[in-house]
Amino acid sequence: MSGYALGAAEVADTFAEAFPMRYARVLITAATEAWAQEAARSMTGFATSVIGCKCEAAIERSLSRVQTPDGRPGVAVLLFAMDREGVGKRVLERVGQSVMTCPTTACFDGLPGAERTAALGRSLRYFGDGFQASKVIAGERFWRIPVMEGEFLVSESVGIGQGVGGGNLVIGAGDDDTALAAAQAAAEAMRGEGVALPFPGGIVRSGSKVGALTSKTMPASTNHQMAPTLRAQVDDTLVPEGVGAMFEIVIDAVSEDAVRQAMRRGLHTAAAAGATHVTAANFGGKLGEFHFPLDELRDPP
Amino acid sequence: MTLRLTLRTEPAARVLAAPLIPERLRGLNAAAVAGLELRCGGERVAVGDLFQVSGGGTEEEALVLSGDLRRLDGIGAHMSRGAIEVQGDVGAWAGAEMSGGVLRILGNAGARLGAAYPGARAGMTGGEVVVTGDAGEEAGAGMRRGLVAVGGRAGNGAGLRMLAGTVIALGGIGREAGLGNRRGSLVSGRSVEPLPSYAFAARFQPPALMLQLLRVRELGLTVRDGLLSGRWARWSGDRTVLSRGEILIFDEDNDGR
Repeated sequence: MSGYALGAAEVADTFAEAFPMRYARVLITAATEAWAQEAARSMTGFATSVIGCKCEAAIERSLSRVQTPDGRPGVAVLLFAMDREGVGKRVLERVGQSVMTCPTTACFDGLPGAERTAALGRSLRYFGDGFQASKVIAGERFWRIPVMEGEFLVSESVGIGQGVGGGNLVIGAGDDDTALAAAQAAAEAMRGEGVALPFPGGIVRSGSKVGALTSKTMPASTNHQMAPTLRAQVDDTLVPEGVGAMFEIVIDAVSEDAVRQAMRRGLHTAAAAGATHVTAANFGGKLGEFHFPLDELRDPP
Repeated sequence: MTLRLTLRTEPAARVLAAPLIPERLRGLNAAAVAGLELRCGGERVAVGDLFQVSGGGTEEEALVLSGDLRRLDGIGAHMSRGAIEVQGDVGAWAGAEMSGGVLRILGNAGARLGAAYPGARAGMTGGEVVVTGDAGEEAGAGMRRGLVAVGGRAGNGAGLRMLAGTVIALGGIGREAGLGNRRGSLVSGRSVEPLPSYAFAARFQPPALMLQLLRVRELGLTVRDGLLSGRWARWSGDRTVLSRGEILIFDEDNDGR
């Protein structure tokens, strides 16, 4: 592998390949931060890969009382899908099942003023069975849906933005403990405003390739090239000598630059946290319109 | 520079000030505004005779009125956009049948604040009216949409025949509030005995009201934290019409302070 050294880590001469996606930002507030987190975790569950889950979602960040519309603690969630319709459907399902059901919550649009929107309260209001009511506050319409606890307040619609999905880093080390610790440190550094890491803890240990060697119908299968246990068994392995485990961090973000900066933070943090190799996954550059060469991430954040 | 009208002396008769709205005055310089005429009793008087006029001549849709304006009626009436700030007390019909924009009155307001004119089916259809002092009788009468927020007390008959929208009186609403209210929200920051055609539902923290209280705080009303953290009693009515309206009364025994 050619590339460059970053501390003790060797950085591969390759690039991450990413795709345009649409996204929504939903602000969940509750009586306590703990309940807001409960709702956000529920809403972002089973949302790791658009292939299997129809969307990718993650907690973006916690919000203090002064950062939320109703002055209560909150959490910002980012949800990505391939098109506006997909984002709208998934947000509606997940707010309806995971946020409205959660004690004390309210749900607001986190992209006010967006040119494109998808219905949220406008559709969810029908759960109110005719007892729902709306209020226009400071020019924005909200729906009050009566529930057993009191009322669930939800924005009429959510803004839809154009983001980037599929940025990634692959972090390896001599053993699984060291590789995981480096990946965890990187994931922690990569989180922030505008960034969603949709996999559990931000980390995926079962990175995939498009299609399968043994099936024409499977959309994805294990990334055998990056599986260390297959290194001596396959001809096209990408696992470097001395690497015993690799973890991938997938990044969806609100812009190309947000992906790039998150990758930069992750790369430098992983190198400082014990990673011996850092690389990235791509499809040969033919599928995604966004390319993030690791070579361009040499400068620290 | 924002257009400013400062009352010279108390007018000889009641003045209909409804023409003084930002959308009609936008782009006019001080001289042009001073040359406009208003009805004063049975006479027509020049704005410049009533007010000292300054600023204007820009595309800004904003207006500041100041002085003892209790003999001026209809300030902000039929306004659809922009902002009016009034520094002083105003007469009746302020914000009547507004459809948009913000009317801030740093003082007291007379009767029929944000209300429908006689014979009209609906009053305000949008916009926000904020009064830091008290308001007279029948505030928000006939309102269809929008917000009337009073820092002090609202007089008797607030929300008369409301269709929807919200009337907030942090200092409490007067008697016979919400008569004929169909879907509107009346909010009283003090205890009040609702009409018999309202029925008690529950005590809770209304999430939409919290947003509205934060909004009126942003617009200049003093909203103490207890109102945001305490509970409110919801009374449903008016049962003689649709029973989809409500009166929210702050639970002073469970203040949240």
